[in-house]
Amino acid sequence: MHVLKRLFILAVVAAVVGLGAFWWLTIPATVAASTLPAHTPDPGNGAVVFNAGGCASCHATPAQQDRLKLGGGLPLTSPFGTFYVPNISPDPVAGIGRWSEVDFVTALLKGTSPNGSHYFPAFPYTSYQQMKVEDARDLFAFLKTLPQVASKAPDHAVPFPFDIRRNLGIWKSLFLDGKPFVADTSKSPQWNRGSYLVNALGHCAECHSPRNALGGIVTAQRFAGGPNPDGEGWVPNITPKRLGDWSEKDIAYFLETGQTPDGDTAGGSMARVIRNTSQLSAEDRSAMALYLKSLPPVEGPPRPAKKG
Amino acid sequence: MKRALLVVGALLLGVGAVSAQQEIVKERQTLMKSNGRALGGTLSAMAKGDKPYDQAAVDAAFVVLEDTAKKLPSLFPDSTKGLKGEGDYSSSPKVWEDKAGFASHVEIFSKAVAETKGKVKDLDSLKANVGAIGKACGGCHETFRLKV
Repeated sequence: MHVLKRLFILAVVAAVVGLGAFWWLTIPATVAASTLPAHTPDPGNGAVVFNAGGCASCHATPAQQDRLKLGGGLPLTSPFGTFYVPNISPDPVAGIGRWSEVDFVTALLKGTSPNGSHYFPAFPYTSYQQMKVEDARDLFAFLKTLPQVASKAPDHAVPFPFDIRRNLGIWKSLFLDGKPFVADTSKSPQWNRGSYLVNALGHCAECHSPRNALGGIVTAQRFAGGPNPDGEGWVPNITPKRLGDWSEKDIAYFLETGQTPDGDTAGGSMARVIRNTSQLSAEDRSAMALYLKSLPPVEGPPRPAKKG
Repeated sequence: MKRALLVVGALLLGVGAVSAQQEIVKERQTLMKSNGRALGGTLSAMAKGDKPYDQAAVDAAFVVLEDTAKKLPSLFPDSTKGLKGEGDYSSSPKVWEDKAGFASHVEIFSKAVAETKGKVKDLDSLKANVGAIGKACGGCHETFRLKV
């Protein structure tokens, strides 16, 4: 009896310690307002960040042409459930009109919402964490200039256990390294600009890489393509393994027009991406092309055999 | 014996019908490929500076694009719904679920070809206007084509 009682107490203590450790390990990270240096936001640069970051690809209200109406609502299907892209227009109720600048920076760089909970990584903060803080602040200033959209996006339809947001703290400890973008001084400024546009803002790897069972990007096959994370089909390999015979000019032209060298055009969600990259400067598109051509050729996962 | 012949005959007819539908799928894929060559291999290649401007080649490319625009509406009969061809792409079921939407995209393409043809006289006008065609292609592919 005595032994059992002791064991029981031990079990309770272990559970409390375990829960405490879980709690501590999964505390959502934030950016403190006091750490932001003085900065006069530049909405013009914010517009560049907006286009390069592809915000409108997901956040624009579906089934209408204006990519500056960021009412959200687009469903993103995944093995973990269906996410509905939120409204990020400046509407104070449906959108982010009441957010402070530091709320916004925290969302992009830490993947944490203003009420202190983890965002699902359908929001590509694993890429955006590399964004320069000034760029995030300029982007916020730009978003403030856009029209308010009053429609509220539906709640995510994510079943248990993936709906427990606190678990995402563990996910983040596995797949969010918290490292800012560091320029490679052995490479040209153009290459570094391209790398920043592709990795931090353009978040190309988020779709163009295979993911493991936990939904994290398989680092060794970054950019090597894989099953479409959002539904049917296959996302192509964008390393020189597949794009070897594309010139830098071909890649830049594709990002401008959506046209491949053989006259095919981007379809599916890439069509929306092109509507953003077509707005960038020719220099930025060339920088992205230069960077992509410099990647090592990596073999992607095998494509499944075709049916019927 | 008669019955067996009838059955075999019916089966053959069925097979024939199926392969006729596959032929339509193949025909539209071939058409799209030649369309791509006209746009990417000729018009865009000139706009990019990969090839010199050549009015005769431009005219020939527009003939192909116009031909595609003309044939497209009849190449997606209900009987080909769900059929897949060779290659990386297939038609989305939305082609048949949203016929009006699909038709409006074909119309946008047809208009873009006609308008661009009227504007292109030299390299500069080609550069300035050829984008409209690719945009029409992408606008339709966004919804109505699947990568398999």
